[in-house]
Amino acid sequence: MKKIPQPIEHILDKTFDRMESFVHSHKKVNFLFGALFSAFDGLLRSSKDTAATQPFIRNNYDVKRFMGAVLVALVIGWVFPAVYFYGWQCVISKLMVSFIVGVFVVDVLWAIIAQEEHISEGGFVSCLLVPAILPPQAPLWLVGLGAALAIIFRNVLGGVGHNLVNPAIFSRLFLTICFPSFLVMGYQTPFTGMPDLHSLRYGLDAVTHATPLTLFKTNGEVASFFSLLLGTSGGSLGESCRILLILTGLWLIKIKVVNWRLPLSYLSSVFVFSLFFSLIVGKSVAPPIFQLMSGGLILGAFFMATDPITTVYNQKAKWIYGAGCGFVTVLIRDFTTLPEGVMYSILLMNLLAVPIQSLMVKIRYRA
Amino acid sequence: MKLFNLCKKKEIPGFHGGFNLLEAYPIRFCNVIEKISSDVAPKQFVFNAPQQKVEQVIVNLCPTEPWALPNWVTLAHDTSSFLDKVVALRARCFPAARVAIAISEKEGKHVTEAIKYAGNTDWMTAHPLNPKYPQNDPVVLSKVVLHAEVECGADTTTQGILILDAQTIAAAYESNVLGNKVNSRFVAVSGTGLKENEVIRVELGATIGKMLGGRFKANGTHRVFVNGPLCGREITDLSQEIDWSVNNIVVLEALNVKVMFPMIKQEEMSFTTNILGEVRQCVYCNFCDDTCPMDLEPALYYHSYTRGEGHKARSYNLGKCIECGLCSFICPSKLELLQTIKACKALD
Repeated sequence: MKKIPQPIEHILDKTFDRMESFVHSHKKVNFLFGALFSAFDGLLRSSKDTAATQPFIRNNYDVKRFMGAVLVALVIGWVFPAVYFYGWQCVISKLMVSFIVGVFVVDVLWAIIAQEEHISEGGFVSCLLVPAILPPQAPLWLVGLGAALAIIFRNVLGGVGHNLVNPAIFSRLFLTICFPSFLVMGYQTPFTGMPDLHSLRYGLDAVTHATPLTLFKTNGEVASFFSLLLGTSGGSLGESCRILLILTGLWLIKIKVVNWRLPLSYLSSVFVFSLFFSLIVGKSVAPPIFQLMSGGLILGAFFMATDPITTVYNQKAKWIYGAGCGFVTVLIRDFTTLPEGVMYSILLMNLLAVPIQSLMVKIRYRA
Repeated sequence: MKLFNLCKKKEIPGFHGGFNLLEAYPIRFCNVIEKISSDVAPKQFVFNAPQQKVEQVIVNLCPTEPWALPNWVTLAHDTSSFLDKVVALRARCFPAARVAIAISEKEGKHVTEAIKYAGNTDWMTAHPLNPKYPQNDPVVLSKVVLHAEVECGADTTTQGILILDAQTIAAAYESNVLGNKVNSRFVAVSGTGLKENEVIRVELGATIGKMLGGRFKANGTHRVFVNGPLCGREITDLSQEIDWSVNNIVVLEALNVKVMFPMIKQEEMSFTTNILGEVRQCVYCNFCDDTCPMDLEPALYYHSYTRGEGHKARSYNLGKCIECGLCSFICPSKLELLQTIKACKALD
């Protein structure tokens, strides 16, 4: 890695020291901007805490790197392909609204009101997920409202580490209830072919009103697996390019940010149950491979169901959790009027995680 | 071929979890400093065979901490003559015992020599082991080598298992078999707070301050740890005397200042006492139970304790914890899990 010149580093360090002492010496400034400054400081400088008790050395892996890895994976997994398919004007504006409203307004205000010492890194992940699970043509205010709801909801429950359900999915549910019309339309046809300046900015102008799962529900039409894998078949902003989502998900598994048991159990249970139902019920339910490759399943299985805080802690219980997610997803897709069930299944299993966990602990440590 | 390698890997006995410290903190010792003498009359090393009948002797030649005294200092690259000493010592002190040589699989030449040597006798066995921490903990070592369940915290000699390291064997051979006086030992001295990593031969009774004199780096604050920063103890009083239990001394930079751009300085920051992150809430990342060598779930104890239900922790196999400190070491939220475990243990 390139080395940063010594004098610049020194000047920056001194500036930060001066700012820190300024912020801490003025009560009102500290009240308003203390959390924001410490968050910004924490991004550029290490903490000065040393280990007071055994063990006296610690691994150099912290929550910031943990969340940073998820951010990198999400940017590669959905932001880049979304820019190609729908144009940067659509994607970047949504991201900016989401981050500004979610992190820089709501989270900072919350830190001021609730007198929190720091702003959590988890907000970035939630705000990056919110536009990904909304339609490409969703209005910007919807994205902003979603991000604000996600962060408020998470903070009300006690912040990162205490949230019962995934904040991004919760806000999506809230928006689905309040503004259903915005969430069933606005599915733009993705751009394909050689990108040029116009397409990279605007994408295609044509708008369709159906995702592959909706098309199957209405006409029984199965999209080609190749188009589903590459993401040329439409859908929410971030769920379409499944091949990249799978690759980045596997990378996260490799660096142990994502527990491999969850995606494996989720995807395999979707496969097994949809095979089971399609054998029993017949052609009216979607075939297994199509179910695996469509909708938000890949995004949900690798990035949302695996959110460590909302899942179960016990390793064996993770299999039950993943299988439950898969079962509910297939049930909703096959036997209800809703085309997609990933959001509801993850939310439901988030709520069931606590009883599953306590049950598994009881089973494991029976006297 | 890959499948074959996988099968081959399984042959080396081991345990779930653990952490390879040797790769994470590579420390090289180059020179051996001859004898630092004590100001007072040096104490003598006495080897007493335990009162109980010794059924099993485990010779621990598998250091898992990079700062521990390396084997080559006592073995001097000659496994056979070292094993001759083991044979002589066994004949003198515990003639009925079986001997297991636990040796790091990374030391290829020594492993083959030890296996060949052990093949000549029916009471000696050689066990190549994966040198990941905490392989040389008494409980883990007896479990992996002998498949014996040893109670945590209990002295293994009460169960007939005697665990000896290379240096103790060499000294016991000198004093009990040859009848010579032994009043000095090797101590490995390393860390980022010192100018050089060295092995020092020091008389028992010399003070730590005298041994480290002039070896500190000039700048920064330093912290001194006896027997490693992971599960050893910190000392502030350098006038303590060195006794036989001091295997190594690690001096680390405290690094109690904020450092600019820590992400590109990981190498130089990692071997310090800085916690390398900020204290956060538990995010249930499963790092602690993935790394736990005893298959426990340290986060459960933490959550029980913070909820005020510390007494519940005991029902979650708390008694099995060997206090190796890996859970605190690995925790990305920088929680003091080992302290919580100790607090839970002290509750009743």
